[in-house]
Amino acid sequence: MTDLNALMKTPGAGFEADDDFEQINALYLEKGWGDGLPIVPPTADRVQKMLAYCDRPIDEPIGLVAPRYGAATPIRLAANAVMAGCRPEYFPLVMLAIDALCEEKFNLYGINATTHPCSTLMIVNGPVAKELNMNSGHNAFGPGNRANAAIGRAVRLAMLNIGGAIPGTGDMSTFGSPAKYTYCVAENEAANPWEPLHIELGFPAEASTVTVFGAETPHNINDHESITGLGLLKMMAGTVAITGANDIYFDGMPLLVIGPEHAATIAKDGYSKADVKKFIYEHGRIPLGNMSDENVERRIRQWPVFKNELMEAGPDRMIPIIKNPGGIHVIVLGGAGKHSAYIPTFGATQAVTRALKRRDGQIARSIADFRRS
Amino acid sequence: MAELRKRGLVTAVIYSGPFLKLGKAQARTFGVPDLPLLEITHPLGGISLDDVKARAGQAAPQFVELVHQNLPK
Repeated sequence: MTDLNALMKTPGAGFEADDDFEQINALYLEKGWGDGLPIVPPTADRVQKMLAYCDRPIDEPIGLVAPRYGAATPIRLAANAVMAGCRPEYFPLVMLAIDALCEEKFNLYGINATTHPCSTLMIVNGPVAKELNMNSGHNAFGPGNRANAAIGRAVRLAMLNIGGAIPGTGDMSTFGSPAKYTYCVAENEAANPWEPLHIELGFPAEASTVTVFGAETPHNINDHESITGLGLLKMMAGTVAITGANDIYFDGMPLLVIGPEHAATIAKDGYSKADVKKFIYEHGRIPLGNMSDENVERRIRQWPVFKNELMEAGPDRMIPIIKNPGGIHVIVLGGAGKHSAYIPTFGATQAVTRALKRRDGQIARSIADFRRS
Repeated sequence: MAELRKRGLVTAVIYSGPFLKLGKAQARTFGVPDLPLLEITHPLGGISLDDVKARAGQAAPQFVELVHQNLPK
């Protein structure tokens, strides 16, 4: 296995600089190596410590990060994880997220280069979330938790520094997104009346997973009045029915984030997670007449996802936002309060889930499994 | 597109103004830094069909010229 000291002797692998926080940050800003916020200088010593939780060759690419298709090797990712403020224990999740993001069906090129304001949302499930003290409760989306913030930021820095998703060059987002700084949470499994996401997707309860979404920022669903599951679901379906979101044109499987109090009410009334999804499919619809004539004629009627079924449809025809009864993911997240959230996607993307596994292919039971001896 | 160019076919990418840097970066990424980029007026989305035809009218002669430049001597 190549070691860091040998790699550092490669021309261009590093540079000498004074150990001055202000100067290093000025240099990184000047070079465009970052997200605009101050970074932790990725010294060889810090990168070495980050790699203490990497059980694979440090120069073997985990994936190619679009749009530059830069090789995401552990050593490069470790430098970005240091810059983001990660503790070394977080590093296996950073690598796992990159692995998931580089799967073809996620469409990382589209997600990073598009004019649409989507980012890379990471949902962590399983025991590792607790081990790393990730936040799944109040303010899970931020601020305040180092693991959520730094893991998400490390991945975003990798998009910039390895993938070349640089604003105006490789990232053409019309107005960008606050979620392009960091976007990472752990599901609130303890408050989930249904099976958590990773178990629903077929992973064992003892597995830890990362699921990545090409997602917009959350749109809140405020409901302090409904006291039945049916009432809450009606409000949620109404919020999903957005005219201008990408999901109407694709089958990108958006995300419904249900707050614990809403989830308890819905489950108490006998709804399973599958029932929730079916309700959203059946009621999260907009009338064709909500769309402009140009959109109806030039896009909806001829768009492949509708399979020519809307060629003659009138303005009262209801169009589903999700395209089948299972076409939305549902998680439980957050703390006390009568709120849920809807997260639309880029549309032309599919969520990808990866389980945290050791080098020998076995499910990792702990982050300590990755600690180099 | 890059693969076609590498095989010797006459190829080009049509772009509207703000996407020039993305086009150049992608051409470098895929190993064809000299890939011709033909500019049309921005935007291409949210315009009338007549304006779309006008954009095609901007691109077509540029491509014809490109083909002529690459005719066997």
